Amino acid sequence: MKYAFLVAWREYAENAKTRGFWIGLFMFPVIIFLSVNVSFLLETKATPVRHYVLVDQSGMFAAVVESRLEQLNPRWQPGTNAFKAAQRPFQPATLPAQIDTNADLASLSRDLKPYLRHEKNLQANGRDVELYAAILIPRDIEKRIVRPRAGPAGKTASTNGIEYWSANLADTRLRDEVEQAVNGEIRRREYLARGMDSAAIREVEQTRAPFASLDPKKEAGQEAVSGADIIRQWAPSGFVYLLWVAVFTVSQMLLNNIIEEKSNRIIEVLLSSVTPGELMMGKLLGIAAIGLTLVGVWMAALFGVLHWKSGGAPDFAGPLLVALKTSKLIPMFLIYFLLGYVMYAAFILALGSVCNTIKEAQNYMALITMCMMVPLLTMPFIPKDPNGTLARVLSWIPIYTPFAMMNRVNADPPLIDLIGTAILLLASTAASLWMAAKIFRIGILRTGQPPRIVEMLRWLKG
Amino acid sequence: MNTNPQADAPPLQLRNVTKFYGDFKAVDDVSFTLAAGSICGFLGPNGAGKTTTLRMILEIIQPTRGSITVLGRPSALEVRQRIGYLPEEKGLYKKMKTWSVIAYFATLKGLTRKAARQRAYELLERYGLKDFAAKPTEALSKGMSQKVQMLASIAHDPELVILDEPFSGLDPVNQQVMEDIIRDMAGRKRTILFSTHVMQHAERLCERILLIAKGKKIFDGTIAEAKRTLPRRVRIETDDDIGPLRQLSGVLSVDPVQTARGAAGPEDVTHWELQIGENTDPQAILQLCFAKGIRLRGFNQSDPTLHDVFMRLVGPEAREAAFR
Repeated sequence: MKYAFLVAWREYAENAKTRGFWIGLFMFPVIIFLSVNVSFLLETKATPVRHYVLVDQSGMFAAVVESRLEQLNPRWQPGTNAFKAAQRPFQPATLPAQIDTNADLASLSRDLKPYLRHEKNLQANGRDVELYAAILIPRDIEKRIVRPRAGPAGKTASTNGIEYWSANLADTRLRDEVEQAVNGEIRRREYLARGMDSAAIREVEQTRAPFASLDPKKEAGQEAVSGADIIRQWAPSGFVYLLWVAVFTVSQMLLNNIIEEKSNRIIEVLLSSVTPGELMMGKLLGIAAIGLTLVGVWMAALFGVLHWKSGGAPDFAGPLLVALKTSKLIPMFLIYFLLGYVMYAAFILALGSVCNTIKEAQNYMALITMCMMVPLLTMPFIPKDPNGTLARVLSWIPIYTPFAMMNRVNADPPLIDLIGTAILLLASTAASLWMAAKIFRIGILRTGQPPRIVEMLRWLKG
Repeated sequence: MNTNPQADAPPLQLRNVTKFYGDFKAVDDVSFTLAAGSICGFLGPNGAGKTTTLRMILEIIQPTRGSITVLGRPSALEVRQRIGYLPEEKGLYKKMKTWSVIAYFATLKGLTRKAARQRAYELLERYGLKDFAAKPTEALSKGMSQKVQMLASIAHDPELVILDEPFSGLDPVNQQVMEDIIRDMAGRKRTILFSTHVMQHAERLCERILLIAKGKKIFDGTIAEAKRTLPRRVRIETDDDIGPLRQLSGVLSVDPVQTARGAAGPEDVTHWELQIGENTDPQAILQLCFAKGIRLRGFNQSDPTLHDVFMRLVGPEAREAAFR
C-alpha cells in the first residue's frame, strides 16, 4: 500500500499543478458569486432598452398601453444611486414624418419593415435607435373584438385585430404587456356598456380564500410550506449537477493521466517498481483526492457566499443556507461523489489501459459520456416525483444510483431504496474495480490496436 | 561464516524459461546465470525475445514455464528496491521537473523524499545536467531525456541493473556518457545486464555475452570465447600470385577481396583475406611470403570482431527479421 500512496501523492501533486485544476477550482465559486450577486444586474443591465412604436388609429388604447409600460420600471437595487432615474425597459420611439400613421395597416407595416429589419433606424430622445417592435391598432378595432356568442364571423376575426410586428420571436414580454393592457381596457368598456360597475367588479375579482400548502411530514403546528421548503426540495438537483460535473471532471483527469503514461512509455518503468494493482490504486486515490479538493473548495465557496448574502438580496440565499445546514445534502453529496467516482473511475482505468492515444480513448469515452447524460436529462423530473417510478428505477441502476439518490435525498426515500441501492452500488463498484484490475493488468503493457470486447472478456476469465 | 543464502545466491538465474504469446513462442527454454559484479551483454536481432526475457526477469510479465531467481528471491517485486531498470521504450513525465522525475522513481525504490531529492541533484550535477534540474523534462533534448531516464533508473544505487537498449537513439557523445555511467556502476561492483544490437558497445563493456535468436539462447560465454567460434584472419596486400600460401597447413581459406564494382578482372582485387586455424602462427605465413618472393604492400593479422561472430551465429535470423 506504501507504493500506492507514493503513486497517489504524485498524481495529486502533479494534477494540482495543472491549469485545468485551478480553472475547475475557481470556476464554481465564481459562478456562485455571479449567480447570487449579479443576478439583478444580469436581469436589468444585460437586457437592453427596447424601442417600440405604437400606432393606435382607434385612439382607444394608447394611453392604457403607455401607462402599463410605464409601470415596468426596474426595481430599485440596494447599493445603486437612489436619485438616478430608473430606465424603462420599453421606450417609445418617434416615427419618421413621411410615414402616414393613418394609412391602412398593410401599407403601414410595409413602410415599417425596413426599420423592423434594422435596415434603418428611428429616433428616440435625439439619438438613433433600432426599432424592436411595432404595435398597430386598426381604426375599426371595435368591430373586430371577439365576443362569446357573437357568431362565427366574430370568432374568426382574431387574426385581423391588433398587429404586433417584431423580429425577436423569443422575448414576448412587450407583446404580453400590450395584450393585457388592451384587453383590460376592452373589458372595462364592456362593463360600462352593459351598465355594470367596473370598480365593484374589480373588487369582486380580488376576493379570495386563503390557500396554504401544508406538508404532512412536518411537525404539528409547523406544517406550512415555506420558501425554504421549496428550495430544500429543489436543492438536490443543483447537487446532482455538481456531482455530475465533479465526477466527469476527475474521470477525464484520470483518463488523460493514464494515456499520458502509456503514450510516453513511462508505464514499463513504473511497473518495474510497483505492481499493476498498486499503480491502479495509487491513481484512483490520487485523483480521488484531487476530486475531494475540488468539491471541498466548491462547498466552502457555496457556504461562504450564502453566509455573506443570507438576510439580504437575493432572497433565496438565507433559505438555501438553512436547507443545506438542516438536511443531509452535504454528507450524502460526499458519499455519492466518492462512490460514483470509484464506479466511473473503474471504467476509465480499464479504458485508459487499453488505449494508446486520447483519440483512441475518445471513441470509447463517447459511450461513457452518453450513459452519463441520462442523470442530467432526468434531473428536472425527479424532484417533482422523487419516489415515483422513474426515480426508483434509476436509483436501482448502479451507474445512476449516485445521481438519482442524490436527487431524492430531501424527499425521504423508502429505507429499502436508501440501503438497498447503497449495497448494490457498493457491490457493483467492487465488481467494476475487480474487472478493471484484470483488464488494467494486461492492457497497460499492450501496444497497437485496442483489443476487441471479446478479447477483454477473455482477460476477465483468465 | 555467512548463513544468509541470499547473500551467496547469484544476482540473476534463469532456468528453462519459456514464454508463449498465444501460439507464438517468444522465448524458448532459456537458462543462464549472472555472476555478481559482472557486465553481461544480452545480444540478439530484433524480435529475438530480449525484451520479453527482461520483462519476465522484472516480473512485469510472467513466464509460461521455467523459473527466475533475482537476488536470491523467486520474485523480482520482493527485491524491487535493489533492482534498476531502463526499458527499451523510453519516456518521462513531460510537465514534471527533471529532478522531480528522478526523485519520484527513487522514492518508488524505497528512498525517502529528502534522500531522493538530494540524490537527484547529485546525479544531475555529476552528469552535467545540473542546469536543467528545475526545468520540465519536455525542455530536454532526446539525449538528455535518455540520460535522465538512466539516472532515474539507478538513483537508488541498485545491486542489479537491467538496461534494455540503453544506447539506442543516442549520438556518439551521449553513447560515451552512457558507457561511462555503466562503467561507474560496474566499478562499484554492481551487476549489469544490458541488451543491445550494437556490437561495439558490447565489445567495449562486457566480460560476457548472451546471444539469443528466435527466442533460443545460441551462445553464452566470454567475448574471447565468442571470437574463438570464428577463425582468425590475415589480410595480405600484393600484386603477386599468392598461390603458394594455399598449400600452407593451417590456412583454411584464401579469398580475394575485390573493388566495390565487383569486376571479375584480377586488377580489381584490392587485397586477399586468409582464414587461419586456431594454432596457426601468422609469422609462418609472413616467412613463406618472403621465401617465395611475394612482394607485400601490406600484411595484417586480426581477430574476428563481435560483429563477425554475431553475423555468423544469428546472421540468417537477423536478415530474416530485417525483412519481416
